[in-house]
Amino acid sequence: MNKTMKVAKWEIKRNLKNKSFLISLFLTPLIFIIFAFIGNLVDGSEDAESLTTVYIHDELGAFPLLEETAKQLELDFDLKKTSVAESEVKDKLKDSEYTAYIFLTKEGLDSGVFPVYTSEEMEPYFEAQIQAFSESIKSVHIGQLGLSEEQLREILKPFVFKQISADELDENGQVHAGDPETEKENLLKKAVPAAFAGIILFSIVITSMMIFTSASQEKKDKIAEIILSSVTTDELMQGKIVGYFVLGMIQALVILVFAIPFVIYQFDIPVLEYLLVPETLLFVFISVLGYLLFAAIFVGIGSTMADISTAGNFQGFIMLLPFLPLFFIGPVIDNPSGLAAQIASYIPFSSPAILIMRLAMLEEWPWLEIAISLAILVISVWLFMKLAGKIFKVGILLYGKNATPQEIWKWIRA
Amino acid sequence: MEVFLSVEGLGKYFKDKKVLHDISFEVRTGEIMAVLGPNGAGKTTTIRNIMGIIYPDEGTITFHRFNGKGIPRHKIGYLPEERGLYKNVKVMDILLYLADLKDYPLQKAKERISAYLKKFDLEGKEKVKIEELSKGMAQKVQFIAAVLHEPELLILDEPFSGLDPVSQEIFKEEIRSLARQGTSILLSSHQMNLVEAICDRVFMIQKGQKVVYGTLDDVKTQYANFKCVIKGKNNWDHLKNIPSVRRIEEKPDGAVLYLEKDVQPAKWVKHLPDDLNINEMTIDRISLHEIFIDIATDKKLIGEEVSPDE
Repeated sequence: MNKTMKVAKWEIKRNLKNKSFLISLFLTPLIFIIFAFIGNLVDGSEDAESLTTVYIHDELGAFPLLEETAKQLELDFDLKKTSVAESEVKDKLKDSEYTAYIFLTKEGLDSGVFPVYTSEEMEPYFEAQIQAFSESIKSVHIGQLGLSEEQLREILKPFVFKQISADELDENGQVHAGDPETEKENLLKKAVPAAFAGIILFSIVITSMMIFTSASQEKKDKIAEIILSSVTTDELMQGKIVGYFVLGMIQALVILVFAIPFVIYQFDIPVLEYLLVPETLLFVFISVLGYLLFAAIFVGIGSTMADISTAGNFQGFIMLLPFLPLFFIGPVIDNPSGLAAQIASYIPFSSPAILIMRLAMLEEWPWLEIAISLAILVISVWLFMKLAGKIFKVGILLYGKNATPQEIWKWIRA
Repeated sequence: MEVFLSVEGLGKYFKDKKVLHDISFEVRTGEIMAVLGPNGAGKTTTIRNIMGIIYPDEGTITFHRFNGKGIPRHKIGYLPEERGLYKNVKVMDILLYLADLKDYPLQKAKERISAYLKKFDLEGKEKVKIEELSKGMAQKVQFIAAVLHEPELLILDEPFSGLDPVSQEIFKEEIRSLARQGTSILLSSHQMNLVEAICDRVFMIQKGQKVVYGTLDDVKTQYANFKCVIKGKNNWDHLKNIPSVRRIEEKPDGAVLYLEKDVQPAKWVKHLPDDLNINEMTIDRISLHEIFIDIATDKKLIGEEVSPDE
């Protein structure tokens, strides 16, 4: 164990003294934050552009009501009265964008259809949005029939259907108080630790890919034999895994040091309060298992390759394994307890990321699934460590050449 | 002399091919033992088995003072045949790391590193990165890495390959001095004539099999006949009539006469014809390389194409 720690310490020190590692260490969180800022900027500018100017040719006296409706529904409309006639509209719209002319005419009231002329460039949801005005027109229309206020309200009362699923009911058959504020808080309670775990997982998976470089470099520099005259292959491999784990944690720490103040400042979320919960521990545990799995794979594969540019399909395929969860993100977001999500939680290569995603989204945690998934993950880690040990032992000394899958298979069986 | 390391009946297969056959030898305290043979003879494989980098399929390897405890890695210094060091690391950093892996005290290591750098003409290179060193300098750094922790057994795989003659001399001198201080040294080489000058005993190997094993003197007296190098123009027929000559090799400025076994040089000289043209003459035993080729050919370990008689 002592030798393992010495190797680990060396890998940490060597990287921390390496300029390119230091640059990427600080560049990663900066890129995150820069993209977050750019995202905000782009969002903001889109909002400004999407303001639609709506001219109302109002023969019905509905304008004040329409204005009120637009305000209530927070529609991005700039409502203006106009006296432009239908025949002039074509010329008016020629060179304008995000502009519409609505003709509220007596004929329209009779036929039930009001013409709306729009510029070529329009918000995609414009037609759906202006349907909200139909209620207002209707109330104006009914008002002209001379009914009382009360009769009016009764007639205009909308009827809706509300879905209540069984798990929202308490023992007395009452619906939980669905206060939107607490719902948001509940979501954050899960999402913050999950995001934290995500950052850790991201950092250590990235550094686990550095293990690959490290093992392959050792082979290329032909230093493995000197090191192995002092330590066993197991000690060397474990030392690398421990060392890069620490480097991964340093990366995670640096990201968090940048990200937490940024999030607090930008979104005003009490991050630390949400972070210090027991869930965080489970999330971190899952991340660490994920790291160990990929670290084992990469240290093994790295030891079979002297040169990544001549890597065969086999090694290239394995390098892509950490990206497997990407295929499942869509289905998992659609349905966090669906079949795809379950399958992805049972595949060791995707389970760490998918499990964290699902647990962040699910209200009730499927403990049995979590247990099975963790069991599969733990067994896989153990198995891949064994395999990696066998491959590493032979591969690291096979200087100057990449091993074929057949050779690797032979070492595993040996 | 105390025996430090015994290799007994070592056998190794690569796939189905047997690459080492029943290799047995010893390394004694304070001696220089050389494993000699051409490229691909099995020298590095033998050494890697001793280092525990690969495992033997047959036979045993015993470190006598550490019986039953596996390989005493921290007491062994190793210079592998494949030379390499981390490229983008400073000389001092890598040497300290390697010393640390051998559990050698760091302060002492620092002092020894400075002393060795000075000795090898690398003074002031402590903070230079390996990739900025010349090949010869890097090789010196590797040598320092092997001897830094005061090993009891020093294993050097092809220590002289790729070195210029000046550096070769520096290495030879250092190896001799380490042996005098009691370090057991096992070295391998395919340049037999280089090693001849420093080793006490030799193990010659070809195609994974023993060719000859013994002290340098014994091997030489047993197998090395005399050869007489004559500088000066002479008639071929004239030379052919000299007695006890196995074969004659003509050179541009003279000839080499390979004498028969059991020739006594003092007696033989008296039989040289009076009118022989001699500008310079030396009588010497044939070299290790020539012995190696003679014996290996006799044992059918070398094909006819490299036989010395051609």
